[in-house]
Amino acid sequence: MKKALFVALALAATSASAAPFVYPAAWTAEQNTANKRGGELRLGVLSDFKTINPFTSAEADSIPGTMDNGTGLFTQDPRNDEFLPYMADAKPVVSNSGKRFVVKIRQGMKFSDGQAITADDWITTWKIHTDDKVGSNSYDSFFLNDKPITIKKLDNYTLQFDFPQVSSGAYERMSFAPWPDHVFGKAYREGGAEAVKKLWTLGTPASQIVSPGMWVLESFRAGERSVFAKNPNWGDWNKDSRGNALPYLDKLSYRVTGDANASLAAFLAGQIDTVGMRNADDLAQTKRAIDGGSLKATLIPNVSPQAQSSWMTFNWNKASNPTLQKLFRDVRFRRAMSHIANRKAMVDLALGGLGTETYFSVYPIFSQQIAAGASAPKYSYNLAQASKLLAQIGYTKKNAQGYLVDKAGKVLEFNLSTNAGNTTREQLGRIFADEAKKVGVKVNFTPIDFNNLVGQLTSKGEDRPFDAILLGLSGGSNVWSFGANVTPCGTNLHSYNNPTNGKCLTAQESLMTKLYYQGDAELDDAKRRAIGGQLMKAEGELQPVIYLVGGNYHVAYNERIGGEYPRALMNAYYLQRDQALTFVK
Amino acid sequence: MIPFLLRRLVQSIPTLLLASLLIFFVIQLAPGDFLTPAKLNPNISSEQLAALERNFGLDRPAWQQYLFWMGNMFQGNFGLSFQYQQPVLDIIWPRILNSLYLALMSLILFYSIAIPLGVYGAVRQNSPGDNAVNIVLYFLLGFPSFFLALIVIYFILQLRNATGLDIPIGGMTSNNFEELSPFGQLLDILKHLIIPALVLAISDAAGLTRVIRGQMLEVMRSDYVRTARAKGVSEHTAIWKHTFRNAILPIVAGIGSLLPALISGVGFLEVVFAYPGITPMLLTAIGTQDLYLIAGFTVITTVLLIIGNVISDILLAVVDPRVKVS
Repeated sequence: MKKALFVALALAATSASAAPFVYPAAWTAEQNTANKRGGELRLGVLSDFKTINPFTSAEADSIPGTMDNGTGLFTQDPRNDEFLPYMADAKPVVSNSGKRFVVKIRQGMKFSDGQAITADDWITTWKIHTDDKVGSNSYDSFFLNDKPITIKKLDNYTLQFDFPQVSSGAYERMSFAPWPDHVFGKAYREGGAEAVKKLWTLGTPASQIVSPGMWVLESFRAGERSVFAKNPNWGDWNKDSRGNALPYLDKLSYRVTGDANASLAAFLAGQIDTVGMRNADDLAQTKRAIDGGSLKATLIPNVSPQAQSSWMTFNWNKASNPTLQKLFRDVRFRRAMSHIANRKAMVDLALGGLGTETYFSVYPIFSQQIAAGASAPKYSYNLAQASKLLAQIGYTKKNAQGYLVDKAGKVLEFNLSTNAGNTTREQLGRIFADEAKKVGVKVNFTPIDFNNLVGQLTSKGEDRPFDAILLGLSGGSNVWSFGANVTPCGTNLHSYNNPTNGKCLTAQESLMTKLYYQGDAELDDAKRRAIGGQLMKAEGELQPVIYLVGGNYHVAYNERIGGEYPRALMNAYYLQRDQALTFVK
Repeated sequence: MIPFLLRRLVQSIPTLLLASLLIFFVIQLAPGDFLTPAKLNPNISSEQLAALERNFGLDRPAWQQYLFWMGNMFQGNFGLSFQYQQPVLDIIWPRILNSLYLALMSLILFYSIAIPLGVYGAVRQNSPGDNAVNIVLYFLLGFPSFFLALIVIYFILQLRNATGLDIPIGGMTSNNFEELSPFGQLLDILKHLIIPALVLAISDAAGLTRVIRGQMLEVMRSDYVRTARAKGVSEHTAIWKHTFRNAILPIVAGIGSLLPALISGVGFLEVVFAYPGITPMLLTAIGTQDLYLIAGFTVITTVLLIIGNVISDILLAVVDPRVKVS
């Protein structure tokens, strides 16, 4: 009995003295040495928030998305992309050949209402996310190839994650925000999925909202603004390098601006502190305001490429038109198309010079992966080489209009569509069609309705209803930068070849599919990137999709706030600052 | 009175049914659905897409969706918004109220501008004052209200920069709204409402002013007004009691149709002034094909139209003793 009491006391003592997470001094270019506290970070958001409930939220910017800022068992270090223990007390103990992770939870963490954050909160959150009746957007992140990841509570401060197979994304998948068991768990046990969905709607008073993260909702006015206050308990376990509690700020507010131009206007008028710079026009307006003295702000153009790219895909499943099907399946044709794409002109004309040429499905921002695939072939702008390749396929003669014709006198032509209303893509398509005409390829470029286009692109079968599509994708991870829905055969966005049975057609496709799963199951960063390099090589040779250009990321912020990242850490992935280290000067 | 209301209620059922049928299937004619953009998201698997489709009922044929929706609507349930994952009525009701505040404010300003000006124009027909009013109002009538609003915003900004006055140019409340006293909050909202309401009222006033002026002129020449004058009633009574009361009858008959028109009519201004009314939300809903939100709102507008017509019939009976509702 005495011994038990002693153990209990020892446990209490360790929990009271639990070490906080210390934000490295190198994470900011501007140290808050004077410990300036208080003030409000004012942000803009394009459309109104739709819900407070973390299990039904599906927006990019959201209320739960703001409140889970400063949560997760692990967090990535922007200096080297490595995962640091965050809500975890230490690195996990890995066993079962990389499939089992035992994680100790940091002690002394509390929700905004003062309740301790323990293993139960993670277990409940996982259970609700994986209930398909809830319809959570995070549902997929708890499954690997349809097999579930299971989480077990070993004790109040220990979790055991069992993965069905080794996964490079394990740390990311384990780093979800724990929502309070005493709110959601209670409702779930009593009323199931329906009860969870009824919680935390926009009508719920802000005083009932509980947050595990840096911010907690203070007030919400539909269509106008949302204000978050700092979670008073978060600073107990988050300190700056001098031992001061974080965040420095008292408040964070979002103002609903309605559209991007209104956001820019609000930034220029000094009403919000940062805004996304979309294009050369935005940059010019901001520069003018700074030069004219009406705005005190920092503007850094071309900080990094965005995690996005535009591309062209050719349909390999065209049973109704064997000539085109044969052409699109010919690797020489696709290489010729890549040679025709004048990516420099696309950056200069369509993106106002503020863009980056892309050649692979890995976006240039994932620089470590790109470096690992440096030997992969690129088919850059070269019209002579394109003509040569097309001649090899049998297009040697031109007709009176200057278009290439085959032996039967048929003109080399195809339809290229993109979504109407996207002016950048319309310009990219126009530039491509103009260049194609120079070598004698007739491209009938037509912008069509977005939803129709997506329907065509994602259709399955032996005769899919399009020739070629110009579109873009965005997002992705710096851990394993290949798309789960894009690279392997038979997946939704394997856009070039999607027959009914979902089989690969070429050896490279099979190789890419194999390498995709192999890399995804590799825990060692360097080895995984080497596999990624091989994948990029296979992709470069096959040219299944012709990657074109992506926009660049620019940073702009009002001079009243400090604590931004050093220039070298800023990029489209980690953005411009950590809100915890941001302060009002 | 009650039999009249009951009859109106029964008559409105086929109208509503037809309107709901039309709106539901017109929305269906657009290609794709709410989940189409999700198909381009590399992080959403096809299994999850299928599960979402099932949850939203989008995997069923349109007629089944319609019947299901209608069935729910008879129980007062307008369906679930795809974007918000909440009942449609809960989401749009606060927005409709916001729009209604703006609409009512502008309606009050509208009548208090148009009626005196119209009466003045008739009483002092072709006087310099009448001509001046006509010129200004016709000039304003030529501008679309949202464009007028943009010009107003421009001048307010110049004024703000020049004087440092904190004149609100958008939204419905100030940043410190939560800290104000209830009276202060009311004042704050009024301060935000007045400019968009005034813009709307002034740009619309020309039409009604012309109608009132014409009606007044016609009635003023009628026999009973001459008789009244001959009896020796004061000029004030002759104009307001004998002429104006008769002149506004066609206007009262049209008030009912103003109710839904006002809610949707303040739309452009809500967008320009970033006002949290129904239109900005509806535009997003149309953009994302949030089916039940659009359909639900349209049904509510139709109901308002029907209610508005009933109200104007009742009002007509109040101002014109010759008309009886039953």
